[in-house]
Amino acid sequence: MLDVGRHPNIDLLAYSEVQHIEGQAGNFKVTVRKKARYVDEDKCTGCGLCSEKCPTTVVDAFNEGLGMRRAVYAYFAQGIPSTRTIDPDHCRQLNGKKCGICQKVCQAGAIDYTQQDRLIELQVGAVIAAVGYDVFDPAQIAEYRYREIENVVTAIEFERLLSASGPTSGHVYRPSDLNAKAEIQVLEKQAAKSGRMLARFEKKYGRTSADFFMQYQAAPTDDADQEKWARVYQEDLARKERLAALNDAVKDAATAKRLAFIQCVGSRDFRFYPFCSGYCCMHSIKEAIIANEHEPQTVSTIFGMDIRAVGKGFEEYKIRGGNKSGITYVRGRVAEIIEGPGRNPVVVYEDTRTRSVKQEAFDLVILATACAPTRGIAELAATLNVALDDYGFIKTVPSAPVDTSMRGIFVCGCAGAPMDVPESVAQASSAAERAAEIIFQSDPVKEKAVA
Amino acid sequence: MSKEVLVIGGGIAGMQASLDLADMGIRVHLVEKLPSIGGKMAQLDKTFPTNDCAI
Repeated sequence: MLDVGRHPNIDLLAYSEVQHIEGQAGNFKVTVRKKARYVDEDKCTGCGLCSEKCPTTVVDAFNEGLGMRRAVYAYFAQGIPSTRTIDPDHCRQLNGKKCGICQKVCQAGAIDYTQQDRLIELQVGAVIAAVGYDVFDPAQIAEYRYREIENVVTAIEFERLLSASGPTSGHVYRPSDLNAKAEIQVLEKQAAKSGRMLARFEKKYGRTSADFFMQYQAAPTDDADQEKWARVYQEDLARKERLAALNDAVKDAATAKRLAFIQCVGSRDFRFYPFCSGYCCMHSIKEAIIANEHEPQTVSTIFGMDIRAVGKGFEEYKIRGGNKSGITYVRGRVAEIIEGPGRNPVVVYEDTRTRSVKQEAFDLVILATACAPTRGIAELAATLNVALDDYGFIKTVPSAPVDTSMRGIFVCGCAGAPMDVPESVAQASSAAERAAEIIFQSDPVKEKAVA
Repeated sequence: MSKEVLVIGGGIAGMQASLDLADMGIRVHLVEKLPSIGGKMAQLDKTFPTNDCAI
């Protein structure tokens, strides 16, 4: 990543989108929209003081919604470029409210609320589409209750829980406990505020809130002040009750130690994608091994029709996971996930080896979601004038896996089909070489020599 | 006739393609929709089968 940012031959246009393209192989005219960051890229040093002082918190997309970021932010800590970006949907200043804190604290004078989108015109000989994929939304599978049961997460969400730079610093706390803790924080803040308000009333009228409320209930008055006091007191009681319940629930909150991985969520499923996404079996094994490395008591069960460990060193990795990292492989498709006592998800499945239907409770269930075409790929395909296949990936043929239907435009990685990191890298080198062929063919001297 | 290449997407595939082209001496414009490059790979903690750090 760092090499890309530093390479003298790479012009990095982050936070930008291709708006228009015309021409043919060897000669494309491209219009790129560089979106306004409201931060001057040349001045920003990436110190992060603005993010520290920003008063607005926003759900963090990089951490799959498991953490929070500020309205002026770095997409992730080591991101390249390190220039901060202001989120125009959430920034107070850009939405007409009074703020401007980031501009005041920025010592480089990089914050510019008046920045506009810029259009950049480029002339290129070839185009490579490496637009990647999106995670399949498992809420479409009603029986897995992804949105209803808090402790059912996707593989990429679990990846963030495992990450040392993630929202839990690599400790696998369960989302139900994380959500409860976040709610406690909000409620405690509100409780402190209403506590101050009640203290003011008590001082003003010289009696306790409980005394006042008893009397008020017996004989309500129209006095606005007293009405407010009664309302605040009632709200405070309800809040304290909720806080006690939440505190009780998180009292023995521990990290998740019994994990279930469910394979083929959305893939190899005729209701959604009939294809095998390829990387998910290995991804689940890897996550189970890492979880066991973090906490050696962790045990995992991987539920799959079969474990597809096809690749150099992959089968050995799978066996090692079973022998050394507490992984059990169960052959069977999970029918349903229900919520049991203690917010534990219960997996209902058929073990096809013993031909019996079983139920088992876990601390956390991880869904190995399918590789779906990225949102916006249809618009991009229309802009580039390339064809898509039946599922919405960029269409290629087996004999030319990086060539699209348009000469001079190539594809690599998950934009064309689901694949893992090593295969993406191999395809990328292949696409780079195909693009270079176009570039060197379009050399007029060489063309003359051929003729 | 242009000797430059446009790469759309700054994930692992886009970054690798850009580096390969740039090392060949070809000028590359790398367009990424999000504020930082890295893509899905940057969200991964480690990668299989070697458990190396993804970034």
